[in-house]
Amino acid sequence: MSDKPKLAMYWAASCGGCEVSLLNLHEKLLEVEASFDFVFCPCLIDTKKSDIEAMPDKSIAITLFNGAIRTEENAEMAHLLRKKSQILIAFGSCASEGCVPGLANLYSKQAILKTVYLDNPTIDNPGNTVPVTSCDVPEGTLTLPAFFDRVQTLSQVTDVDYTIPGCPPESHQVWAVVVSVVNGTKLPQLGSVIGAGCLSVCDECPRVKEDKKITSFHRTWEIIPEPEKCLLEQGLICMGIATRDGCGAPCPQANMPCSGCYGPPEGVSDQGAKMVSALGSILDIGDSKGRSDEEIAARLESLLDAIPDYIGTFYMYSLPGSIIGGRVNK
Amino acid sequence: MKTGVYFCSCGTNITDKIDTERVKAGLESSGKIAYFKTCPFLCSEEGKQFLEQELKEERPDRIVIAACSPRDHEATFMRVMEQAGMNPYLMQLVNIREQIAWVTEDPEKATQKASVALKAALKRVELHEMLEKQELEVSPDVLIIGAGPAGLKAALTLAESGRRVALVEKTPVIGGLPVLYDALFPNMECGPCMMDPIIGEILYGEHSEKIELLTMAELDEVVGYFGNFVVKIRQRPRYINTSQCIGCGKCFEPCPASGANQFNCNMEEKKAIGFTFPGALPNAPYIDPAMCTRFTEGSDCTACRGACLMGEGVVVYDDEEKIIERQIGAIVVATGSSLYDCSCFDNLGYGRFPDVTTALEFERILASNGPTAGEIFMSNGDVPGSVVIIHCVGSLDEDHQPYCSGICCQYAFKFNHLLESKLPNAKIHHLYKEIVSPGKEEYALYRTARENPNAHFVRYSSIADMQILVDNEQQIIQLADGSKINADLVVLCPAVVPSADAEKLSAMLDVSQDRFGFFEELHGRMDTARSKIRGVYLAGACQAPTDIQRATSQAMAASGYILSELVTGRKIELDPLFASVYPEKCAGCKVCMKVCPYRAIGFDAGNNVAVVNAVLCHGCGTCVAACPVNAIKANHFTDEMILSEIEGVLK
Repeated sequence: MSDKPKLAMYWAASCGGCEVSLLNLHEKLLEVEASFDFVFCPCLIDTKKSDIEAMPDKSIAITLFNGAIRTEENAEMAHLLRKKSQILIAFGSCASEGCVPGLANLYSKQAILKTVYLDNPTIDNPGNTVPVTSCDVPEGTLTLPAFFDRVQTLSQVTDVDYTIPGCPPESHQVWAVVVSVVNGTKLPQLGSVIGAGCLSVCDECPRVKEDKKITSFHRTWEIIPEPEKCLLEQGLICMGIATRDGCGAPCPQANMPCSGCYGPPEGVSDQGAKMVSALGSILDIGDSKGRSDEEIAARLESLLDAIPDYIGTFYMYSLPGSIIGGRVNK
Repeated sequence: MKTGVYFCSCGTNITDKIDTERVKAGLESSGKIAYFKTCPFLCSEEGKQFLEQELKEERPDRIVIAACSPRDHEATFMRVMEQAGMNPYLMQLVNIREQIAWVTEDPEKATQKASVALKAALKRVELHEMLEKQELEVSPDVLIIGAGPAGLKAALTLAESGRRVALVEKTPVIGGLPVLYDALFPNMECGPCMMDPIIGEILYGEHSEKIELLTMAELDEVVGYFGNFVVKIRQRPRYINTSQCIGCGKCFEPCPASGANQFNCNMEEKKAIGFTFPGALPNAPYIDPAMCTRFTEGSDCTACRGACLMGEGVVVYDDEEKIIERQIGAIVVATGSSLYDCSCFDNLGYGRFPDVTTALEFERILASNGPTAGEIFMSNGDVPGSVVIIHCVGSLDEDHQPYCSGICCQYAFKFNHLLESKLPNAKIHHLYKEIVSPGKEEYALYRTARENPNAHFVRYSSIADMQILVDNEQQIIQLADGSKINADLVVLCPAVVPSADAEKLSAMLDVSQDRFGFFEELHGRMDTARSKIRGVYLAGACQAPTDIQRATSQAMAASGYILSELVTGRKIELDPLFASVYPEKCAGCKVCMKVCPYRAIGFDAGNNVAVVNAVLCHGCGTCVAACPVNAIKANHFTDEMILSEIEGVLK
């Protein structure tokens, strides 16, 4: 083994996009390789869990941990990598906030297993078999890691040193972090978000903001937005106002509203709540003076009816990490 | 940090339910407080002296007072703190009387609640900051927009108290609508006779030097805020030197050009140089460049100048538009109202039938200085034998204006009274939806109309159900039930609506309009003379349909506010409870700007950040909740303070 600092990357409940974002460094990957000994990455390298277990504690300089904590295996790997790493980074939206896998927190474990293994129209499962953690077969006992009741973020199961947000993190931001580590730049305070900005996407978005007054909402396929004007002002729900910057605002520049993948801006604890609070302030239902409560409610409803999925819109990336966390299963 | 608690028993109001000793014991054992003291009546003179003495001796860093609602005595205790040399914002008042003792039956629960509320206040007060009031120099001068009864009354009142006033009037003549009316309800007073004394005071009175009258002028730009507005006024050329003109009218006769006189509702023509109507003030003509051949054809006509008795310099053909800039501290909007467009009722034939007129046109017909010198004729020259007055045209009508315009019934009965003497043989029909005539004097004209043997009252439910027709050269009106009434002359009483340029003015001043387009008052019952923008006041029909009495009262109210809020030589004090933007956190999304009800948020385009103007901010916190990046801080109500208070309750 070389004496270069060791780098690891792991995927828990994730899609693989975070690895792709690392690969998007392209030829710069060679520089990463020059500076680090890349010891573990199930997607790219054939080292095993047992290899990691065999390493002394704190022998990995940095672990980029992506993916949410959905199963017992995810949690076990989180604990293991925490033990073996000097710096554990929640890499990407799933690890930092729960992201799309976290939307499963709207349903109970039983309901999820039922949908996937029993009710799914493409499944032929005459024996109504669902996964269990342990199962006796003639050859012996088979085991599977447990499927948890809730999706959790990395920091909800172990201590996390830094967070790099994004779904996935933009490669230029990953590179910026790598460069600062390689150059020995003093790391920020533990717990900080790195590889991102401190404001909101609006700061990087070149679209012109004028009059934040929304009289109706549209889905992206319903209108062709004006090219220069703020998308939110055109009735597209752009999460950019309540989303941390750093991505460079590629989505709004490609006529797509921001869906919020960089998570809450600095100092905001709940991205969805903040977005709802901001939107609630700028919805325009006309002059309501002297109107009955029923009429005001009806006007609001007709405006809000155009938003098909509140949680999926406002908490697409942040449900497990938010104050509400998910549906309360009683 | 040394924190003291002062617990007021409020006689037995509080201690009847709350066990002071247990609350005290709980807090003392927590180690969070330096001391806990009780007082029977903290708001009494003895109580205040006790508190002042205490604060001087104990010198606490923070105090929590457990007493009544902040609406009662927060200001009282803050003054005591100031007297004792302590910053008054380092206190949290806990309302244990109204919110606990008076509403919680069970003393056990009340005691627990009081303990929890005090714990929350102790957590919060730790974070309180030493806020300081700021002071600002102001200009005591006032801009008044509109020289009708409201504007004139406000101008005179303010001038009498020594204020300098810029009085801006769009038309060449001042006095508003009443100077067009021969008689006013309820007492049949002559309009010009009522207005002339006040106009005389404005033009030539003891305080007239303080009033800068700018006729044919409109507001062009406003920047700044309460106490420090800079306004630009655009004044169109009059082409007459008003200081030399004696208003003799010798120049009219030789003028070769003429056109419709809009001041007589286009019912007659006037010369390109002339008065709007005889007796109009200021007593100087004006040249209408839309008529004068020098402007329409480029001619070199000097007929009017040639006729002038006062010399060559009175008619100024090269007079130019002026932009006049003034620094002022407050603005009174007194722009009046307009009438609903009756041509949108196709069934009433207004615009098609010459003998269907609006009330305003009829006022001019009745006026001795009007187009017919007060004589009433039909378009064919005959004297009408029947007059139909239709009330509520466009008012009380969901398809048009839902509100009652309030003034129409009264002037309709005034018409009835005038018709009784002018056309003693004519039948008068009042078609109405509702009759509205409140007030101690207003019933008299209604009673007279009811007693008029020629008057008939017919109630209708929808204006759409009636039809004005011409049948065999006889104008008739057909009602919903098919019955027909001879209607030689029809007078429509249209809804009172906002004036046409209200929207433009609203945008310029940032003063909001209500759903009808009238300027929106701060409070519909308590504060109709103030807009939601500090320093902009409302008077008269620009705020709601109104009569002269209410318009002038509102003008006096606006003047009162200005005299009390904007005092010559006194700086304005800024309450430190305003919001402020952390520029390093603002991403420039502009969410906050729209939500501010007081238009206190501006935008610094150079730095791409929002900026709160502390003078205009009321500290409501709406922008703080709306800001999606937590970049706005509400002084004294920071997120940290609110969260720590919640924590204090829950932990």
